[in-house]
Amino acid sequence: MKSISSFLCGTLLALGFMAGPVLSGGEIPRAAAPHPNEMILIPAGIYVPFSLGPQDAKQEPVAAFLLDDYPVTNGEFLTFLRANPKWQRSQISRLFADSSYLQNWRADLEPGPSAPLDSPVVHVSWFAARAFAHWAGKRLPTMAEWELAASAGYTQPDGNNDPAFKRDLYDWFARPVPAVLPAITTTRANYYGVHGLHGLVWEWVDDFNSAMISSLDPNLLCAAGATEVKDTGDYAAFMRRALRSSLQANNTTSALGFRCARDLKLSTASVP
Amino acid sequence: MKTAPVLLFIVTALVASAVEQPVATSMPQTAMPACCQKETASAPFSKDSIYQLDGRFTDDSGKPFALNSLRGRPVVLDMFFASCGYACPLTVTDMLALQQRLPAELREATAFVLVSFDVARDTPEALAKYRAQRQLGNNWILLHGDDNSVRELAALLGVQYHETADGAFSHSNQITILNREGEIVHERKGLQGGLDEAALALVRGGK
Repeated sequence: MKSISSFLCGTLLALGFMAGPVLSGGEIPRAAAPHPNEMILIPAGIYVPFSLGPQDAKQEPVAAFLLDDYPVTNGEFLTFLRANPKWQRSQISRLFADSSYLQNWRADLEPGPSAPLDSPVVHVSWFAARAFAHWAGKRLPTMAEWELAASAGYTQPDGNNDPAFKRDLYDWFARPVPAVLPAITTTRANYYGVHGLHGLVWEWVDDFNSAMISSLDPNLLCAAGATEVKDTGDYAAFMRRALRSSLQANNTTSALGFRCARDLKLSTASVP
Repeated sequence: MKTAPVLLFIVTALVASAVEQPVATSMPQTAMPACCQKETASAPFSKDSIYQLDGRFTDDSGKPFALNSLRGRPVVLDMFFASCGYACPLTVTDMLALQQRLPAELREATAFVLVSFDVARDTPEALAKYRAQRQLGNNWILLHGDDNSVRELAALLGVQYHETADGAFSHSNQITILNREGEIVHERKGLQGGLDEAALALVRGGK
């Protein structure tokens, strides 16, 4: 399976370069060696939602899809901002990003020492993350896709059976967010070969606003009557759900970034 | 916005398949009655206007509908789904009550807009049926959109929603009031009360 995914990714990456505005390494000034910004094939699987309403399915099938190898970096985001001035810090509407948007950057087009080019971009809103993804010819992963990819441990598809993975995950939760985030290349690959799903930053998902535990008042929320949690021991899933449900689409925080995904079907359809 | 051509393409494709007429090149219709058209029509949107979103939808007659064509009118906006058995009918009833509370002139100028979460089932035809059932007047606008437009609008309004396995939707109950520039001036959250405050916001926002 590994070899298939490498082959596919190579092909798709090449296609990506032909298709449009994909980053070329030469445009981004980098302090460290550029990382290969590939997309990884995540095979079809089953997502078991953490929290269920009475009418919810106990599990949700997820089709195979492509996911960025790493979170989007400050360097990549800079390229996006150069091409799309309306998303620059001084230009953006408060509707699409709150006042802490890119606040760790020195200036509109100058990430500076607090935002190294090879570190994940943070202080970005859902709207900005989506705009980046569209510009790159991609999209944000859905919650089900992200959770499926992120449930893998280092050596097997179910991280629950991987003690080293679980230890690192909870170690990360225990650490405060560093003032300057480390480079994305410092993260260890999971079973699929995806880096940094845990351990660096939280990540936006496309349907973040489908997570609803902040408003369980049945008067405020239709069908809020009952919720049911699949596994009360899954603290990490609880944390992610709590975070998503507390976010507004224009919010930005010091530990929230994103990565992109792409449909496998659409991409492979154009493979000759 | 970078997504606009893609959205336009999707909406156009949807519309083209829904109605038997060449709509691909037609401009989105304006929802603004002649009385309310102002000289501001081509000025840039304010920094707080939700019309910066460039959301494109289809109304229940099957015509393309640009959300920002509502500019110039006060708007009462609700996201719903037609087969909702509990909250949405109550919210629509409240919107009808709100309509009755407005002074006649403002009532005519105000657009009452329902945007469906149910991208699959709430086709323009289904929405037209809903309009007939609830006897909604000409100043009511019922909109169908693609996944992307609906998700973005909901995010902008702070509305959460989630499709359940039985095809219904859990969702926030929220009526949003927009002024003539498309700025959010009031939100009625929940299912009870708050109509006086909403009416007041409309009177202020309608100026």
